[in-house]
Parts: sequence; C-alpha cells; structure tokens
Amino acid sequence: MQQLTDNALMLKVKSGEFDKLGLLYERHKKRLFGFFYNMNNNAAISEDLVQNVFVRMLKYRYTFTGEGSYSAWMFKTARNVNYDYYRKNKNENRHSDLDSVEYKLYDDKDLNSIMDQNDSVSLLNRAMQKLPLEKREILILSKYKEIKFSEIGEMLGCSEGAAKVKAHRALNDLRSIFLQLENS
Amino acid sequence: MDKEKFEIAMMEYLTDTLNEDERRGFEEFLQANPEHREQFETLEQTWNGLGEGKVPEPSEAMDGRFFEMLHGEIEKVEKSKGNSRDWLATFVEILWKPQMAYGILLLVLGVGLGYYLNSESESERFVKTTVVENGETEAVREKLVLTLLDQPSANKRLQGINEANKIAKVDEKVINALLQTLNNDANVNVRLAAIESLTNYLDEPLVREGLVQSIVKQDSPIVQVTLANLMVALQEKRSIEPFKKLMRSKELDASVKKKLETSIASII
Repeated sequence: MQQLTDNALMLKVKSGEFDKLGLLYERHKKRLFGFFYNMNNNAAISEDLVQNVFVRMLKYRYTFTGEGSYSAWMFKTARNVNYDYYRKNKNENRHSDLDSVEYKLYDDKDLNSIMDQNDSVSLLNRAMQKLPLEKREILILSKYKEIKFSEIGEMLGCSEGAAKVKAHRALNDLRSIFLQLENS
Repeated sequence: MDKEKFEIAMMEYLTDTLNEDERRGFEEFLQANPEHREQFETLEQTWNGLGEGKVPEPSEAMDGRFFEMLHGEIEKVEKSKGNSRDWLATFVEILWKPQMAYGILLLVLGVGLGYYLNSESESERFVKTTVVENGETEAVREKLVLTLLDQPSANKRLQGINEANKIAKVDEKVINALLQTLNNDANVNVRLAAIESLTNYLDEPLVREGLVQSIVKQDSPIVQVTLANLMVALQEKRSIEPFKKLMRSKELDASVKKKLETSIASII
C-alpha cells in the first residue's frame, strides 16, 4: 500500500474508499501541523486546523482531479482553512498573539539556558510572526520541496515568476524585521 | 541581470530548482558581482534559518480525533448505502421465522378453502344479496313505521307515515296501523297524511273498507271533505250510507254538509 502515490490514494478516497484518507493523514499530518504552527505558533489551534483540512478534503473530494500534485491540492485546502480561521477569529487574534508570546517566553527561557545559538532561531521565529499573513504563507510554502512555484502561483492567483518574486520580497522583509529585532 | 530576474534566479537557486548548468551560471554571476553576492548571502542565511525553529510534535489526541471523524464518515456512507436494501432484508428475515411461515400457510389455505366453497357465479350472488338486503330493509322499515306511529309526538307519527310510503308492498299490520291512526289520531295533519298514505294501496280491499268505515268517525271538516273527495274519485258506492249518517249529525259544518251532498250526488 505504501507504494501507492498520494494522488492514487486520493483518487481512491474520491471513489468512496474513505479508509485511504487514513494513510494520507499519516503521511502528511506532521507537515500540515508544521504549516499551521509556523503560521500561528499555537499547537492546539494547529491541531484543530489539521483536522479541518481533512474534513474539508473529504467534503470536496470531487474537486480532486489527480492532474496536479496532491500536496499542492492539500496545501490549497490548508490555506483556505487557515484564512477561514483568521476571518472567524479576527477579534480573538490579539488574544491568540498574547498566548503565543507567553508560549515563546517560556520557550526562550528554556532555549536560552541551553545554548545561545538558538537566539537567532527564536528571533527569526518572532520576525516571522510579525510578517504579514500572505508573506509568511508564501515563505512556508516555498520551503516545501514537493510544491512547485507554478503551484504556489496557482494558489495565489499569479504567474510562476510573480510567485518567485513575491517569495523573494517576503524573504527580504523577513530579513529586515529580523535585523530590527536583533538591534532592539 | 535586472533586479526581477535576479530575484527569480535567487529563489530558484535557494529552492534547488535549477539544473546543473543554470546553477553554475548563477554562481558565476555572483562571483562577478560582489554587490549581488552580499545580498544573496544575507538572504541565504535567513532562508536557511527558516524552518529551523522548533515545531512541537502534534499530540496523540489529534490522531484520535481524526480517526474518530473518519470512522464516523465511513459509517455514514455505509448506512446510506444499506438503507435502500434494509427494509427488503428485514421483510425477508421476518418471513423466514417459522411461526410467521406457518401463519402465512394457514392464511393461504383458509383463503383457498373460502374461494372453493363460495364458488357461485357472480350474478347469482348479486341477486341473492339484493333480495336479502331488500327483504331485510322492508322488515326493518315496517318495524320503524309501527314504532313511529306509536310515538306521542305528532311530528314522529308524520315521519312514520312518510316511512310507510317508502315501503313497496305493505302487509296487514302496517295497513291496520295506518287505519288506526286515521281513526284515532288527535292531530288533523297526521290523519290527512294517513289518508294520503293509504291511497297508495287502494287495490287492497282492506284499505277501501277501512276508509269507508272511517267516514263516520271523523269530526274534523277538512278530513271529512278529503274523504268525500276521495270517495267521489273512487266512485265508492259503499260510502253513501256513512255520508248520509254523517249528515244527520247536528255538529256537522254547513259547508261540509253541502259538499257531502254534492259528493253523494256525483257518486250516484
């Protein structure tokens, strides 16, 4: 069964073999969780959103044609789930940010005690959280090797070249915020 | 290389999507342009640091929730698939129970036997039932007439006479009851209705006889006049004597007396 590609599995799910979604879940749960965690820095919310992605994939399984890559389709769904979450919880976002700050302080305390090298990593993380949602998203997506820029472009509604330029500028902005945080 | 081209090439280099030649070409470009190289190096550092941050492991509870959801969905689909066949399966299952099978066998035998014993032709059965039904209705109606004529309410007795009109062939009992009503009923309207009803059976000698005999018993002018008219129509000669007797009584109304005279004259 492990030999089956993600696309083949998803096509089976589409034809009614729902149990195959379990295999896809096992293969991709960590990456999806990582995507959400990098987006919102909250483990509990990220777990809920991973669940939402699979519920939605099951609901809209008919839209999966098997032509593009499964990962691109999955992250497209994940992106929509994430936007829905942000739209619904606009008012609570500040509260959620506070939560993540607390979590981060706790993290920093731990990490600082281990090694200084992690300072730059946690600083980069904080810089990432300060980056606008769309820019954060394109950077996380372009980090995944199995998602091509052409697919990111499709998700964002722009050309492949424009997606690359956007990713570059997002990286540039992240660098600027990182330097600001470092100097403050 | 313009700014945008450089940005695109850099992202391709960082995401490792360039082929060998392109890769070498980009590296050579950086060597030749220190300004761009510096820009590239700082961003490469940031790029490499990206995703280095500690991402916790998702909890087992997440797996639990997912598989619970998945099983729920699978069950839902199986239920909707099964529903269409379910009722048929249940029906067949019920039929296969031995008690039910014996029950159905007995029922079939009973129905078969019933058909066998009742194998008269359709028309015969129809005639029989109609006759029986008619006979039964007549008998019931006769009883109804007799009961209604005995009621203290004049209205009920009128209703009884109406019922009597519906009987196709009356027997002696009903005729006697009607005649009794004609002779003894306190209400004039009831007595008039009784006369009208009795005219339906003028072929019966008993009815003619009763009507003639009833002449002397009447004291209401309107009933007397009605009977006189009826006797004229019937040309009943036997009625002359009772009329004459009636005319001799002192209480008789003057106009009725005149009417009786002309009636007797027209009967003769």
